Amino acid sequence: MSEPFRRTPTAVVVDLPTEVRTWLIGLATDAGTEVVEVGGATNRRLLGPIDLTADHDDPLLELQRQMAVEGPLNVLVATAMATEISEDEAEQWIRALQMVLAAAAARFDLRTEDDVASLAREDHGAITTLQAIMSLLMDALDS
Amino acid sequence: MSELDTDVFGSTSTTQALDVPWDVILWNDPVTLISLVVRVIRKVFGYSKEKAETLTMTVHHEGKAVVWSGDKETAAAYCVALHGYALGATIQPGK
Repeated sequence: MSEPFRRTPTAVVVDLPTEVRTWLIGLATDAGTEVVEVGGATNRRLLGPIDLTADHDDPLLELQRQMAVEGPLNVLVATAMATEISEDEAEQWIRALQMVLAAAAARFDLRTEDDVASLAREDHGAITTLQAIMSLLMDALDS
Repeated sequence: MSELDTDVFGSTSTTQALDVPWDVILWNDPVTLISLVVRVIRKVFGYSKEKAETLTMTVHHEGKAVVWSGDKETAAAYCVALHGYALGATIQPGK
């Protein structure tokens, strides 16, 4: 298999298997659903208060943060099947992949590296695959 | 709590309260790549690679690090920027 991501002067060429793309769409969709479930683990992890001295954040700040989370996930879902994405879309992919990882950390209540190591093989494999995809994309984008 | 200051023109200000720096705290996360944290710190704060790596390793080894201090509004904006990469970050009054 060729490099999954290759930077050109104007874009990033994506050469991922279709099943991986479909898998990413599913993960991003699930993370997007979980993040808006108020009180859920993913919602608390990604949209919990940022000011530790206050009960809740400024409503405008909350809206900004919700958009900052939902936007990249939507971009990943919309462009996951593309053979070429813009640099900005690639940056949104990195954000979205990290959000999917953070959602998994919240879902499985992962607090330490031992927690990650003790995950079921399939779940652990999903996390390491996501990390590998992100690392390759960062390498391509920053090359 | 600060005391009110009166300047030579008779106006008052809460300079002490406004001057209290707020810290942006970046928290460790077992699923986040170190390379991503370095990249995001550099991107968000414009720090050198060396400074970003030092802060990242502090987060990794000590569980958290103060990555920026200053006025509350800017601290909140930086925090939102870090959350844009799903990094765990909070703000609190500095010591």
